[in-house]
Amino acid sequence: MDAATQKKLIGELGKKLNRAVRMYMDGCTRCGLCVDSCHAYVSDPKIEHSPVARAQNIRRLYERYFTLNGTFAPGLEEAVELDDAWMKKVYETAYTCTGCRRCMTVCPFGIDTQQIQGIAKQLLNVAGEAPMVLNMLADMSVAKGQTYRSTKDNFATAVGNLGGEIIEKWRSEGGDAVVPLDVEDCDVLYVALAGKHSIISAAAIMNAAGEKWSLSYFEAVNFGAFVGNPEKTRIISQRIIDEAQRLNAKKVVICECGTAFRVMKHMMGTLPFEVLSVVELMHQYVRDGRITLDKSKLEGKVTYHDPCQLARNGGVFDEPRHVLQQLTDNFVDTTPTREHNWCCGGGGGLVAMGEKDFRMSSAKVKADQVKATGATVLVTSCENCHTQLHDLNAHHDMGVRVEYLTELVADALIQP
Amino acid sequence: MDKIYHLIMVPMVYLAVAWCIIGVAYRVVRMLRAPKPAHSLALFPRRIDGHVKALVEAFTWPTILRKQPVFWAFLVAFHVGLIIILFGHVDLFPQVNICPADSRHMLGAGLGGLLFTAPLLYFLQRRFKEPVRLISVPADYYLLLLMFLIGLTGISISWTNSWNPPIGFVITKAELATHYFDKLAHLSLASPIEGMLVNSHTIVVALHVLLANLFLMLLPFSKVMHAFLAVPLNRLRRV
Repeated sequence: MDAATQKKLIGELGKKLNRAVRMYMDGCTRCGLCVDSCHAYVSDPKIEHSPVARAQNIRRLYERYFTLNGTFAPGLEEAVELDDAWMKKVYETAYTCTGCRRCMTVCPFGIDTQQIQGIAKQLLNVAGEAPMVLNMLADMSVAKGQTYRSTKDNFATAVGNLGGEIIEKWRSEGGDAVVPLDVEDCDVLYVALAGKHSIISAAAIMNAAGEKWSLSYFEAVNFGAFVGNPEKTRIISQRIIDEAQRLNAKKVVICECGTAFRVMKHMMGTLPFEVLSVVELMHQYVRDGRITLDKSKLEGKVTYHDPCQLARNGGVFDEPRHVLQQLTDNFVDTTPTREHNWCCGGGGGLVAMGEKDFRMSSAKVKADQVKATGATVLVTSCENCHTQLHDLNAHHDMGVRVEYLTELVADALIQP
Repeated sequence: MDKIYHLIMVPMVYLAVAWCIIGVAYRVVRMLRAPKPAHSLALFPRRIDGHVKALVEAFTWPTILRKQPVFWAFLVAFHVGLIIILFGHVDLFPQVNICPADSRHMLGAGLGGLLFTAPLLYFLQRRFKEPVRLISVPADYYLLLLMFLIGLTGISISWTNSWNPPIGFVITKAELATHYFDKLAHLSLASPIEGMLVNSHTIVVALHVLLANLFLMLLPFSKVMHAFLAVPLNRLRRV
């Protein structure tokens, strides 16, 4: 690494040292309590998988360049020089952390490993060493936002073609169109993923509820957050905010994507509209009697996986469970559950990056947890989690059917 | 030798205390001047009494109790001992009388020192065992060792003057109060050795003060800073 790059990266590290991060750097006593809170460590007990070891990769740089003790007595803190070898270490821990923040529930000080790994990811971004696939996805997503006007007609045609599949789930149409677009003064602006699965079920449910809704032209997933680039994260979210303001939407409802929900709901500041997860929306419909569900449609013992960004980091715990109570009398929760639930091991961009060997070995604890419930249906509310759990199911022979909550609800809609 | 005792027990004490206060203030101010995080970092579920929960977590460590109850018990003993010995040292100033002035016993009659020192052995052995050994750095060991030696010399001073009759064998609590702490309270540069018994026990007192001075000087640059960060960090998690 040349001196100019090193200086640039140290400067970048300095920029990321906000009040919280400085406290995280200085407050950790390396007590080790967090070590076995990480699914990766528990599944594959290597110390580099532990939250504290991941954090030490950044803390040692901080000690070296931003503290007196690290500058004058680096050996005592094992402070290190920033070089290519160390950046390799930073890479290995940054993109194997799913950012689930389970360790934060255990740490006596509540140190946020995701924030610290966010710095690691930013350093790798600046050094041009972040995973190419995540950067490409983020760049494509940003570009799509810049060119969406030229593809609007094609998008409208494509979603129009989904009408048949939506009507199969819900025979009467709630609005003027099965998939309404550009609806001004809509009550709900629904932001889906690129795949049709995240549109069909949600559209059937909203139409069944008689919602005045509009489908966003943009996809919810925020690859900027996965790659750890704050500017791309902001751009990807901002275009949805702009669209909601243009349509004067009352609510922006994010599809089953934990990261997209957390970024929009909790990281974009005060917004002129309400932000909900589609899970919360379904819960409101059930609670208010706007949709009714047929319990006979879902057979077998059912359990639920809390997506980390939706639950522990997003606050959506009770709503999916209330909805599931309308779908089955045979529900069993996992142990541990809710804010203490194990991460599936697919977050933080790992699913998008592939990394299947690591994903399967690092999430054995999740597979064992699901098996222990004896459930035959595993429900979740996040695209990433669904993909990861589907892979885990096959790899660890979990013996479950992995389902989206929206699909179960759409399939159980009682026709008038 | 008296000059060395004087240097350690008077000017170095003032220097160490000033260094510690300035160092801690510098680090705290540097943190406060850093920009706030762009969004809340609190976990869910969030509660109305998040501030209270943060305080409870900062002072009672429920996650440690749940996961490692033995570690928790030693931590409680250590911190209770620390509080007792801090008050015990304040009580050595003649202007403060938590214990009766004529009592030969320090506050806690040696219990504070024991509660403070014994857990340090447990913390040290824990550092030498995996997985904690794998995440520890040299500073983690020297800090525990330094505190252990401070505790050991402190116990030696406290217990000898508590349990031996004042027959000129050890430096008594009354002597420490009159000839040493009273002078420190008045920021005097006079030597405490003048008027105080000088014998083989003096070196233990001087060693105790030297180690405490070193600890105070290292404190702002050590993990002891967690003492000042426990509450704000827990607030970040809960509020």
